[in-house]
Amino acid sequence: MVESVSVPLSVYRFDPGRDASPRYVDYRLDLPRHTPVLTALLKIRSEIDSSLSLRYSCRSAICGSCAMLINSKSRLACQTQVGPELDLHGRIVIDPMRNQPVLRDLVVDQRPFWQDYERILPHLVTDPRHPMPEGKPNPMTPEQVERFHETPRCIACGACYSACPAKEADPTFPGPMALAKLYRFVVDPRDGATRERLLRIQPGGLWTCLRCHLCTTSCPKDVQPSERIRDLKELAIREQGATEAGSRHAVGFKENLHDRGLLNEMRLVRQTDGVLGMLRQAPQGIRIAAKKPELLHKPRRIEGQEEVRRLYELLEDEEGGA
Amino acid sequence: MRRHDVLVVGAGLAGQRAALAAAQAGRDVALLTKLHPLRSHSGAAQGGINAAVGAEDSVDTHIYDTVKGSDYLGDQDAIEFFCSEAGKTVVEMEHFGTIFSRAPDGSLARRPFGGAGFPRTIYAADRTGLALLQAIYEHLGTEKITTYEEWDLVDLVLVDGRVQGIVAHDRRTGEFEGIAAKSVVLATGPAGRVYSRTTNSHSSTGDGLAIAYRAGAWLKDMEFVQFHPTALLETGILITEGARGEGGILKNGTGERFMSRYAPHVQDLASRDVVSRAIVTEILEGRGFPGGFVHLELMHLGKEKIESRLQEICDFSRNFAGIDPVTEPIPVSPAQHYMMGGIGTSIHGETNLAGLFAAGEAACVSIHGANRLGGNSLLETLVFGKEAGIAAAQFAADSPSTRVSDIEVQRTLGTVRTMMARTDGVEPLAFRAEIQAVMERRAGIYRNDADLRAGCEEISTLRERAATMRITDSSRVFNLNLTDALETLHILDLAEVILVGALARTESRGAHSRTDFPKRDDANWMRHTIASYRPEGPQLSYAPVAYTRWEPKERVY
Ligand SMILES: Cc1cc2nc3c(=O)[nH]c(=O)nc-3n(C[C@H](O)[C@H](O)[C@H](O)COP(=O)(O)OP(=O)(O)OC[C@H]3O[C@@H](n4cnc5c(N)ncnc54)[C@H](O)[C@@H]3O)c2cc1C
Ligand code: SF4
Ligand code: SF4
Ligand code: FES
Repeated sequence: MVESVSVPLSVYRFDPGRDASPRYVDYRLDLPRHTPVLTALLKIRSEIDSSLSLRYSCRSAICGSCAMLINSKSRLACQTQVGPELDLHGRIVIDPMRNQPVLRDLVVDQRPFWQDYERILPHLVTDPRHPMPEGKPNPMTPEQVERFHETPRCIACGACYSACPAKEADPTFPGPMALAKLYRFVVDPRDGATRERLLRIQPGGLWTCLRCHLCTTSCPKDVQPSERIRDLKELAIREQGATEAGSRHAVGFKENLHDRGLLNEMRLVRQTDGVLGMLRQAPQGIRIAAKKPELLHKPRRIEGQEEVRRLYELLEDEEGGA
Repeated sequence: MRRHDVLVVGAGLAGQRAALAAAQAGRDVALLTKLHPLRSHSGAAQGGINAAVGAEDSVDTHIYDTVKGSDYLGDQDAIEFFCSEAGKTVVEMEHFGTIFSRAPDGSLARRPFGGAGFPRTIYAADRTGLALLQAIYEHLGTEKITTYEEWDLVDLVLVDGRVQGIVAHDRRTGEFEGIAAKSVVLATGPAGRVYSRTTNSHSSTGDGLAIAYRAGAWLKDMEFVQFHPTALLETGILITEGARGEGGILKNGTGERFMSRYAPHVQDLASRDVVSRAIVTEILEGRGFPGGFVHLELMHLGKEKIESRLQEICDFSRNFAGIDPVTEPIPVSPAQHYMMGGIGTSIHGETNLAGLFAAGEAACVSIHGANRLGGNSLLETLVFGKEAGIAAAQFAADSPSTRVSDIEVQRTLGTVRTMMARTDGVEPLAFRAEIQAVMERRAGIYRNDADLRAGCEEISTLRERAATMRITDSSRVFNLNLTDALETLHILDLAEVILVGALARTESRGAHSRTDFPKRDDANWMRHTIASYRPEGPQLSYAPVAYTRWEPKERVY
C-alpha cells in the first residue's frame, strides 16, 4: 500500500454572523502524498469537525465548485495534491477565494462574479443576416471550432477572478472569466452581437487588464483568459483606433473575424500595430498599481508581493518584447 | 408567501430544459437548485449524446438498439418517441449555442459508442455534458424566470393527493420557507451516493426520489443499477472505455490478463457488464490486489499514444490518483454509475400524484429498462425535460392557485431542530458510510437471496439508529452538516427500496444479476417493479411493459 505522510493543514474559519474575526484552525492528517486537498478537507469534515463549510461536488475538476486559495494560489482543491504542496511550503494553508466576500469559512459570495458574467450578454444572439437553418445544424468547420481556443473548457470556478489584481483595483473591470466568455461569443460564426457586447463592458472594459497572466496561470482548465483578452484588445485597437470608449467599428471588426479568419488577423496585428497596442496598455496597468499601492501589501496571509513582482516582470517583458 | 405557476427542482440538463419549456408556454416559472446550475452533474458527462442522424443510420435502428440494450424491460412506446425526437433535440441544442465537434464537411461529428449499430454519438471533445449545460444555461438566460440558487428541496407539500408546493432550505440564510406552486417538476438527478463507490458527484444523493417517494409517488425499477467496470480506486472517478478501446488491458494481482478467460474473443473490449462482473469475480476469488482492485495497463501503448489519444484519462490518473499511466498501471475497480430506476412517469413526465412531474435521471419513463446505453441519458434529460416542462405548464394553466401553510414549514423545521438539539447520536457522514457499506456488500454487481436478505435486515437496524441522527453544527449559514443529515435520510430510504426490489426479482436481467437465478425469466418477470412508501417499508407491486413492434430475444452481442 502507498505510504502516508503527516500533513499539517491550516484552514481559514469565519462565520461572519457569529465570529468577531476570522481565525485559522490547525489540523494534522496522515495521507498518501497524492491525496487531493479536497479529500483532506472532507476527511476533516467527516472525522474531526463537521462544521467546516466549503463548496464541492464533482471531485473531478468539472463542476467548478471547489476553488479556494491553497498556499496563497487560487486553484481547485480537488485537483491539487498534498505532496507537492508540502514539498514547496512544508504545510498547507487554506483560505477562501479573493475578490468575493466570505459567506462562511471557504464559501464566498459569487454574486459579483456572476453579475460580471451577465454583463457580456452571455447567450447566442442570432445575426439577422445569417438566420439559423431550419431543422438543421449550422455548418461549422473544425477550423472554426478551433477559433474558440480553450474558452469552451471554462467551468466558471472563479479561480481567475480571485487571482486578478485588475479586478481588485477596479471593481468595474469584468474580470478574466467574463472576458474569455466574451471572446467565445465574438468568434462564434453564429453570433451577431459583438458590438453590443463590447459596449456593455464599458467602462472598465478590456483596458484595465494588466497583462499579468495570473488568470492564465491559476486557471485549472487552461482557458488562458489573458491570451484571449490580448486577442480582443488587439482586434479592438486595430478596428477602433486609440479610443477605448467607442466601439464604432465593432461591426466591421466582427466581419473581419468571420471573413478573414482570426488567426491571420492576429498575426497581422502583432506585426503592425503591436508596438502601439502594447504601449497603450502598459501605462494603464502601471497607473492602477500606483493608485492602489496596497496591491503590494495584500491583507490576509498571502504572498502578494511575489505576485505583484511577477506582474511587473511580465509588464516589462511585454514592453521589451514590443 | 412565495408563489409560482411551475416550480422546477434541479437545474441540470433535465431541469433547465423543463424550465425553458414551461417559460415558453407563458407560465411564471421558478427554478430551484442546491448547486449553481452550471455545477450540476450533467457537466461531468464526457462521451456524447445519441441521435441517429447519419445517412447509414436510422431512427428504427436506434429504437432497436435501445430496446435490446434495455433487455426488453424498456417501454417500447416511450423508446419510439424518445428516438424519434433525438435529431430535433440535437439541432435545437446546436441552435442554442452548443459547440459540438465537427466533421471536415462542417456537419456534426459522430463517434461509435457501446451497444449501438453505427457511429451515433454526437459529442463536444471530451466534455459533451459541459457543452450542453453551458448552452442550455445561456439560452435559459433569455427567459424571465426566478432562480433559487443553493436552495435545497426538503419536502413536498400535498393536500388530498394534489401537490401544493414545497418546503425548501436556503443555504445562504439558513431559512426554511414554503414555496407554493401549481405544478412541481422534479429533476434532481442521480442517486449514486447510495453506494460508496460511484462515478457520481458528492451531491448525487437522490433527494427528489426519496422526497417524492415519501410523499406517495411510485418509484419504478430501482433495483436496476448500472456499474461501470473501470473507476479510479480511491475517488471512483470514471475512466472511460476509451482506455480499453485504444488497447489498454486489464490484469489481476497475479499479473494475468484475465479477460481472456471471460471473453476469449473480444477480451478487454467486452461490454460493460461482462467486464464489471469479471473484475468482481477476480477480486472475490482472491486474485485482485490487496485492497480489492485490478490494474488497467496502458504502458505498452507508449508515451506518445497515451498522451495524445488518451489525454483525459492521463490527466485524471495524474491529477486525482497521482499515477502516471505512461510508467505505471492504473488501479481500478467497478463503481456504481447510473440508476435506471426512478420516479415512475408517463412520456409527458406525469407521476401518479396530481401536479407532480419528473424528468432526467431522477425519473423512470422507462426507456433504459434494465440497462442504459451510453449516450442515451443526456438525450433523455433534454427530450423528457421538455415534455415534463410542457405538461407541467399545461397543468398549471388549468389549475387554481395553491398555498403552503406555515404548519408545513414548521413541521420540517421541527425535525431539523430535534436533530440539532441532540447532544449525542450518530453523525450524518459516518452514518451515511454505514448505509453505503451495506449497499456495496449486499446489493452490488452480483446479488443473491442470502445477501439481499441480510442487507434488508441491516438497513432496518440502521433505520432505528437513524432516529438518533444528530446535527452538531449550529450555524445558520452554509450549514453542510444539516444538508448531510437530510441527504443521508434520503439515501437510507432509497437503499431499502433497491434491496427489497432486488430481493423480490428472482431473475437476472440487464444490470440485475442474481447468482441464484442466472437466467432472464420473461414469463414471470417481464414487468416493472413499483415501490410505494409504507411506514413499515416499501410495498411492491408490478406493472406491465409496453410493447409495440419488438419481440423479446436473448441479449447477445
Ligand atoms: C461520469 C459520468 C459520465 C457520464 N457520461 C455520459 C455520456 O457520455 N452520455 C450520456 O448520455 N450520459 C452520461 N452520463 C449520465 C448523464 O450525465 C446523467 O444521467 C444526466 O446528466 C443527468 O442529468 P439530470 O439533469 O437528470 O441531473 P443533474 O445534472 O445531476 O442535475 C441534478 C440537479 O438537481 C439539483 N438537486 C439535487 N437535489 C436537490 C435538492 N434536494 N434540492 C434542490 N436541487 C437539487 C442539483 O443541484 C442539480 O442542479 C454520465 C454520468 C456520469 C456520472
Ligand atoms: S492578465 Fe488581466 S485579467 Fe488576467 S489576472 Fe492579470 S489583470 Fe486580471
Ligand atoms: S477561466 Fe479558468 S479559472 Fe476562470 S472561471 Fe473559467 S475555468 Fe475557472
Ligand atoms: S469539486 Fe468540482 S471542481 Fe472541484
